[in-house]
Amino acid sequence: MANIMFIADESNATVTDRVFRMVENVINMEHGSVALVFLIGVIFGGIIQYTRVDKFEKIAGFAMLKDTIVPKMLFLAVGLTSIGLYFMIKFGGAHYHIKPIMLQGLIIGGVIFGVSMAIFGKCPGTGPVSIAEGRIDVLVGAIGGLLGGLVFTLYYDDFFKSLMGDSLGKTILPDFFKGDEDLTTLIFGIAIIAIAIAIPKIELLDEADEK
Amino acid sequence: MINKLPWWMGGILMSGLLLLTFSIYGADRPIGASTYVPYASALIFDLDPEKYSYINHIKDAGSWEGVMLLGVLFGGFITSVFITKSFRISLIPSGWKRYKNKSIASRLLWSFISGFFMIIGARLAGGCTSGHFMSGMSQMAISSMIFGGVVLVSLLITGRYFYNTKEKE
Repeated sequence: MANIMFIADESNATVTDRVFRMVENVINMEHGSVALVFLIGVIFGGIIQYTRVDKFEKIAGFAMLKDTIVPKMLFLAVGLTSIGLYFMIKFGGAHYHIKPIMLQGLIIGGVIFGVSMAIFGKCPGTGPVSIAEGRIDVLVGAIGGLLGGLVFTLYYDDFFKSLMGDSLGKTILPDFFKGDEDLTTLIFGIAIIAIAIAIPKIELLDEADEK
Repeated sequence: MINKLPWWMGGILMSGLLLLTFSIYGADRPIGASTYVPYASALIFDLDPEKYSYINHIKDAGSWEGVMLLGVLFGGFITSVFITKSFRISLIPSGWKRYKNKSIASRLLWSFISGFFMIIGARLAGGCTSGHFMSGMSQMAISSMIFGGVVLVSLLITGRYFYNTKEKE
């Protein structure tokens, strides 16, 4: 496929030019058309907004154990997808995209992420939905996030890269049960769905929504 | 129209979207939502990819998620205005007022700080709730299970000690 180039002059590109280059990248990748990727975003944002799992009361509420909608929905989605995806991959309808085990990065990053998520009451996927529904505090948090992304990019080579450690490979659970991959997947998927159902349903309601 | 979907409906729909995205007839990749942030930082602050290797490293995932993010903002806005009718300009969540304090300055400052560190944490781990917890765990990736376990513990400990969780009468 011919590479599509909107921007010829690299030296004095503006922010708008760089946004065009982002779209151009997506056009030249083989990961769906721009319209499809945008549509995936619309559905993703729509599901999160319609289930209201982007609310502070849902995410920080779960951290306080006063609301369990987020883990119930997440576990159900993971359980169902794990079974469907495994068989899709097996029959050639999808591929694995496994993140490497970089122990230090996962543990240090996970601790920092968990603390931030409890305080912010958002994560990178739900934050934009809250901004779209008018939450200014989340917009302020996103500005913090952009600076975090800036600091990470600036100091990646000198600091963060070594902090993440080396990759211990891209292991998945069925690798431990050679010969029984199908069964392992089914047990994993059903167990995760069972957890989703078993978690007691508690809800922290936002009085501002109940008018 | 009902103003909120139940959790099981949300889980089923999200699973359908994940499978569509993974499928070779869809995008043939996972859903992720934290790589677009450093990508957007590089875009806004005009960082030179020659100088900072991370920009080239995240170029593809970042631009894909960047386009998806535009969809997320659009989908979230349309749904909040026309379906759930929950769109409103607000500076402080009710839950923060109830369990933390009533100060807008405090909420905005904590949002800024936690937003900053959230991205550092997600990029160190190589993913977030979407990339690791949903997409990674769905592939039964060990890396994502480690991340999920660590986040769960640190989230619950923070929730327990950061807020005044005793019910105020």
